[in-house]
Amino acid sequence: MKEHFLWALSCSVDIPDVSVCALLDQLISLFCFYNGPVRQSYLRHNRSDLARHWARYLTHLQGGSSELHHIFSCLRTIDSTNIDPLLLLKAALILQACQRCPLVLAGCILYRGRVVSTQMPPDLTVKVMVHETESYQQQDPRPVANGMNGVSGTPSSSTGATPVFLTPAELQALRCHPVDKKCRSHCAPQPPPRPRKSRLLSRTLSDTPPDELDIVNLDPAPTPSSCRSSLSDESCYSACLSSEATTPQLSPVHQSEISCPADAKSYDHGLSNGISACKLKEEVVMGKVANGCNKKMDIRTSQSETEARDAFILPNGNGCHANGHHLDQPGATDCLSDQSSCDEQSDSSCRRSLSNGAETPRKAVLPENGEMKRTKTSIGTGHVGDSEMPTHTKNGCRNGTEGLEERETKENGTGRRQDEREESSSPSSSSEEEALVPMALYQHRVRALVLALLVEPHFHTDQAAVEEVYHSSMASLNGLEAHLRTSTPGGPGPHGPYTFAHYDCIQNTLTSNLSGAPQERSFVRATALLHSNFSQTQTLQEAIVRNAGAAVYATRSTAQETYFLQHATAVRNSGIPNHQDSAFSLPSKARHRLLKHGVNLL
Amino acid sequence: MATKSSLLKVILLGDGGVGKSSLMNRYVTNKFDTHLFHTIGVEFLNKDLEVDGHMVTMQIWDTAGQERFRSLRTPFYRGSDCCLLTFSVDDSQSFHNLGNWKKEFIYYADVKEPETFPFVVLGNKLDVTERQVSSEEAQQWCQENGNYSYYETSAKDATNVAVAFEEAVKRVLAMEERSEHLMPTDTVNLHRKPRSGAACC
Repeated sequence: MKEHFLWALSCSVDIPDVSVCALLDQLISLFCFYNGPVRQSYLRHNRSDLARHWARYLTHLQGGSSELHHIFSCLRTIDSTNIDPLLLLKAALILQACQRCPLVLAGCILYRGRVVSTQMPPDLTVKVMVHETESYQQQDPRPVANGMNGVSGTPSSSTGATPVFLTPAELQALRCHPVDKKCRSHCAPQPPPRPRKSRLLSRTLSDTPPDELDIVNLDPAPTPSSCRSSLSDESCYSACLSSEATTPQLSPVHQSEISCPADAKSYDHGLSNGISACKLKEEVVMGKVANGCNKKMDIRTSQSETEARDAFILPNGNGCHANGHHLDQPGATDCLSDQSSCDEQSDSSCRRSLSNGAETPRKAVLPENGEMKRTKTSIGTGHVGDSEMPTHTKNGCRNGTEGLEERETKENGTGRRQDEREESSSPSSSSEEEALVPMALYQHRVRALVLALLVEPHFHTDQAAVEEVYHSSMASLNGLEAHLRTSTPGGPGPHGPYTFAHYDCIQNTLTSNLSGAPQERSFVRATALLHSNFSQTQTLQEAIVRNAGAAVYATRSTAQETYFLQHATAVRNSGIPNHQDSAFSLPSKARHRLLKHGVNLL
Repeated sequence: MATKSSLLKVILLGDGGVGKSSLMNRYVTNKFDTHLFHTIGVEFLNKDLEVDGHMVTMQIWDTAGQERFRSLRTPFYRGSDCCLLTFSVDDSQSFHNLGNWKKEFIYYADVKEPETFPFVVLGNKLDVTERQVSSEEAQQWCQENGNYSYYETSAKDATNVAVAFEEAVKRVLAMEERSEHLMPTDTVNLHRKPRSGAACC
């Protein structure tokens, strides 16, 4: 049971339950990513069409990768052993360059269906990859060079965009990178202090749940400036971007810095409001999502409110324009999330209350909002808590839930308007709908190489932004593709007298030396069994499973799981505990053997 | 000639930081970005243009100037139709390295006739006030090394950029015409005749 639906998935007995659950979760979130909330999708679309979608997503999740990949539900990454690390850096730099455009949240670069570089969390990367695969199949590999001649900005045939839906938690995660601070600070030197701050001050950061903070931020008086024209929005976004640029995993700090100045220049005017807001929001998010972020949050608290606004705005982007008066919460107009200015305030109040209390408070609050926004609220409110919950749970942050609530409230508030607009949100939908934030997935393909960017939904209507991203990445993508195409695949690395699989839980990647030979079957089964045990027993750190002829050793930490099978050893297995048992030498062998694969078990 | 238009590969070589990427971006997208990061390996852009009545697609390859990227860039020298040797007029060292760049190119591109290969020399950053390389100095080097065309450019304010790239194309076309005249007859047509009947084994 999840989100009022009963899910069923059939599979072979061999697959551990945890893997099945993970797969199902993945499948559902994948569906929602491209189609929006499930309930809403079924109201709008033909069932048979949706059935095809499900089948396609399932095929994607199952297709192409090895059984081990299924067991871990992990990303397929490019084989970095045969690639100059500088090329990985190049890919990361391309992504950072794209983030100089404020409408770009994060991106990833894929080559032949494998990840070269990504700024997104693994689960999001997986979702993005589905579209990549589909578009690759539909589209013949284009003729070699992309002509980008004179026509500035006009995306070549290789670019495209598709609407997608992010959970608030995902969105927050994308916007909450600590690095951002710097950039933003640079970029938006003058984040105007907002009235909201006062609110923040009253509270103790530590006291307030992260969600609240966000909420608070959002609530605060609308920032009129941010709303205005696209330009202003851009500026705001730019600020956000800069922060993002700093991002997470790949990007080197210096780059972010570099990018920032540029942004600042281009967007100076807009920045004051927007930037601050974005930052704030992100900061808040960080606190919620990321672990160590809380401290940062405190520092930034004053700004947080403003940021929060931005965040809301962002999804909609255009919305602000639509409602002139609403300026404060520009984003509201477009997206479901948007709210009119009035709504915003009310929302904010609601949110606050919500943030503190769990669901109950929210309901209490809702009435306020409901008045203004109610169309959505009636339905949405009831469900919201439940439906939203699942999304959050994935992220594992309590914050997430709170954030969702906030969003819901907002959404509700805006609902009426949006209903009119309709596209983004269907008012009637349950909480889950509300929770999902419409965004867009921009894709630029150069033969087998794909740049995929999560962008604000109005990105494609902003010619300047499209051109900026296109021009900043075009040459580099061409070059990277040429490099990857010409780099020799290289044989399957050293194939020692052992089999191993190393799973990185953080990046969700798998390294192994499996060749796919049938005799590896038992290793895969043992791995599945051990992985299942690890998942069920949090305290379990090492284990050995064996049959008469072989023993598989497994060890795990919070960051990784490693499985190791030594071939061709005389198995001394008396059937009872025996210190001469060869199985007991496995740990040390694994440590030594795997060092050359970059796996450190020491 | 219309069918010949096809693709011309032009490669930019020179020390790191002389402005190769900026030249390419200025020419193709007409933009200038002061915050470009070091180029890693190679990059390229296409540009369609018409020169002397020929429609040409110029594929401009931008390379990393830093020594540490050498192994990444050199494999892409092959097949170049023209080489743009670039230095910065405010950096005498980059000028003195032109000879090394030429050698590296000839070696890795496996140029059969280095004497006739079309090189064009670009002195970039004309906008900078403090020059270290005089125009005469550069002209002289070009004269002595094979009578190369020399252009002083500024990617920043777009001075001479288009002219320089077009000169590269003209040089290539001139080369091709010359070679066509030189060996018009003694060629073997490698195209197969279309088979009329069923193919035998």
